[in-house]
Amino acid sequence: MMIDFMKKLFSSKNGSRETAKKRLQFALVYDRLEVSDDMLKEMQNEIVSVISRYFVIDKDQLKLDIQRDDDLSALMFNTPIISAKARRRVA
Amino acid sequence: MEGKIIVISSGKGGVGKTTATASIGAALAMDGKKVVVVDMDIGLRNLDVVMGLENRVVFNIVDVVKGKCKLRQAAIKSRKIDTLFLIPASQSDNKDAVSPNDMIRISKTFRKEFDFTLMDCPAGIERGFENAVAAADEAVVICTPEVSSVRDADRVIGLLYAKQITPKLLVNRIVPSMVERGEMLSHQDVVDVLSIDLVGLVEADEQVVISTNSGVPLIMQEGSKAGEAFRRIAMRLNGQPDLPIEEPGVSKSFWKKIGSKIGFGK
Repeated sequence: MMIDFMKKLFSSKNGSRETAKKRLQFALVYDRLEVSDDMLKEMQNEIVSVISRYFVIDKDQLKLDIQRDDDLSALMFNTPIISAKARRRVA
Repeated sequence: MEGKIIVISSGKGGVGKTTATASIGAALAMDGKKVVVVDMDIGLRNLDVVMGLENRVVFNIVDVVKGKCKLRQAAIKSRKIDTLFLIPASQSDNKDAVSPNDMIRISKTFRKEFDFTLMDCPAGIERGFENAVAAADEAVVICTPEVSSVRDADRVIGLLYAKQITPKLLVNRIVPSMVERGEMLSHQDVVDVLSIDLVGLVEADEQVVISTNSGVPLIMQEGSKAGEAFRRIAMRLNGQPDLPIEEPGVSKSFWKKIGSKIGFGK
């Protein structure tokens, strides 16, 4: 009894249950959206090219993620901005 | 009143569709309903052996569809329960022997002759699944608390939604002691991931193997936890949707209870 208690008190190791849940949630986001890695890559390139017209960004730092709440999936695109590009007037 | 057609599906194989179909069917029939269970796994029939009726097979679902016999002739009466019938799959054809339109066409007769028709869906999401789902009014999706099974269930749930069917979830083969140790997904985890309503929770139970060995319905096995759970699932499908769902659990000692209350129970 006491040993059980001590084990629980000092063990930081989570069971495989949590791992399973996280892996599932991750897998299902992609399954449900039915997007391939190629498609994500292509979209990322296009987004980068659009943003690059207006900002100087650090292309190595940018991150594209799909985040999921209960019934909403969000596309998260994070990129550090180095500077704004000089404004050009478009005729 | 017209009968209801319920499909029992899962995506992944080996999660307990056939056992669930036989058990829920038996429970509904023991409750006085006229029930037929249909083996839609054409080419790999199994429901007949699980129900102990393999020696009585004459006609099958393909014969019914092709008009070689009447539905009534193909329906084999259970040895144990008077109002329970089985329509076996054909063993010599493949899934293409039947089309979804065929199923819709013959579904009228099912609805007329039986209070409940349970379609035992084959694994997979191809033709066999399409056939089993074609005429269904309701669907039960079964999964076990394992990553692969839950993932496949999610796919099937999506396909059912696309067919305007809102399925309900049955989590099968739960091992409460593993859940408690944090080594198995809990039913709540599964529900969180799939965001779907439950129809029942079934514990892993040795009696299932014993029942299949003997061909005696699980719900007739004395003291079977799984049998009892299936009986309650049948009641939920039969006009008592709000019957409380009992959570499988290990009987905890007093001190462990205290432990989990103050946060050491993980």
